[in-house]
Amino acid sequence: MSDGGGESGRESDRATKRKSSDRDFPQAIAKIAVAQICESAGFQGFQQSALETLSEVVVRYIRELGKTAHTYANSACRTECNIFDIIQGLEDLASLQGFSGASDSDHCLAGSGTVREIVQYVSEAEEIPFAHSVPHFPVIRDRKQTPSFLQIGEEPPGDHIPDWLPAFPDPQTYVHSPVTLEQARQHKKAEWSLLNLQQQLACNGLEGPSMIDPGDAAKARRAAETNPFLSAPLHFGEKGVSPVFLPAKLSNEAVVENQAGENHAVANHVSVLETFAPAIELMKSRSCESEEGRKKVLSNQRPAVQFKIEIGKKSTGTALDLSFQNKDVEKITSWFGKDNEKDDKKRRAEKILKESMKNPQELAQL
Amino acid sequence: MNQNQGGNDARHDDDSALSDFLASLVDYTPTIPDELVEHYLAKSGFQCPDVRLIRLVAVATQKFVTEVASDALQQCKARQSAVVKDKRDKQQKDKRLILTMEDLSKALREYGVNVKHQEYFADSPSSGMDPASRDE
Repeated sequence: MSDGGGESGRESDRATKRKSSDRDFPQAIAKIAVAQICESAGFQGFQQSALETLSEVVVRYIRELGKTAHTYANSACRTECNIFDIIQGLEDLASLQGFSGASDSDHCLAGSGTVREIVQYVSEAEEIPFAHSVPHFPVIRDRKQTPSFLQIGEEPPGDHIPDWLPAFPDPQTYVHSPVTLEQARQHKKAEWSLLNLQQQLACNGLEGPSMIDPGDAAKARRAAETNPFLSAPLHFGEKGVSPVFLPAKLSNEAVVENQAGENHAVANHVSVLETFAPAIELMKSRSCESEEGRKKVLSNQRPAVQFKIEIGKKSTGTALDLSFQNKDVEKITSWFGKDNEKDDKKRRAEKILKESMKNPQELAQL
Repeated sequence: MNQNQGGNDARHDDDSALSDFLASLVDYTPTIPDELVEHYLAKSGFQCPDVRLIRLVAVATQKFVTEVASDALQQCKARQSAVVKDKRDKQQKDKRLILTMEDLSKALREYGVNVKHQEYFADSPSSGMDPASRDE
């Protein structure tokens, strides 16, 4: 049983490999015709496999008949077949079933039993035309031929190439050429406009696409108000983003903190900045107070406990650490007795450094 | 001489019958379309510009299919009547005559076409084999 299954599996593989796209159409038509004939014979339904098998047998019958007739015509030194070749082919195929007069050795072909049977069949059977109109197939498409050198008017490169041969393809198709500046600019422009188009589509939804100018920030802002995540990305130079190094000036401290918050927040999100603005301002105010506190402390007393509003889950821990470190730093500096402004600035710079070191860790956790 | 003349007459009759038949074929439209027959005949090398011969081939094929179908129908009816011996209700239910592979293979066997169809389908090529010989 398994052997039989394996064999038929292999056969089906071969059949599917043979089956190509140009076989499908005539095969389908044959199936329809066979189904019509079977219906006239009395069947009301078909198994799919049975119908396919019968149509395949019918196709082979036609081909066998044609091959036999052609062979008989060739045997009679002709290339075109005539009626007698077909009758002989019919006799060959019907020899299994048998027909009247099959055993006669020298009977006339015109009066062959097969022909008589066919004549009888035609007279008895009702005419069933094919259900659909069949176009003439196979359809031959006009192939676009490559023009020759002569047709183009080109000189063939080399004397050994005659001009009636098809021309070579354009060198651009197979030679890689470096992209020029202009082309690069054009590419960039095209990409930019495409990006704009996509953003428009995303922001406006069902609205039709419209091109926005590079300088048109109003629409981008409008888009940003509706959904901050769909706002247009900022371009280079539009927003002042500070470099990473920290200036030692006091006035810059707030700016640095502000920009530290900006730097480490998700870039170019207006709403994020807005939400952090109060926190940053609070930090600024706190730091101002702490500065003043520090000034006082530096003179004689212990430094005050400094609370830092930091964004992140580990804020309380780090705040305490910072305050402790500040104490240590200030204690050490007080022993040495350097109470210059420069030292203050240095201390503040160190403090800012520490904060900025902590900040990326905390803000990155957001 | 007489036999020869008789034979000649018979031949003439046959020829005339044939030509008449071919003439009548032009009016008769076979179920198998001409384009299909032409396509398959061309594939096997058959060359003929005459439409009547194409029609003759189509009619012959149609006759062949009708014969196979009627044989299969007889097989189907015989099987149904054999089953129905038990219950009369089934006869009314199974009025639908369906062309199955079983009936078709039995009918085609008389015409020299051996069609073997699947008894059942196995999941994998190794199913049903001896466990000892199976490679796993």
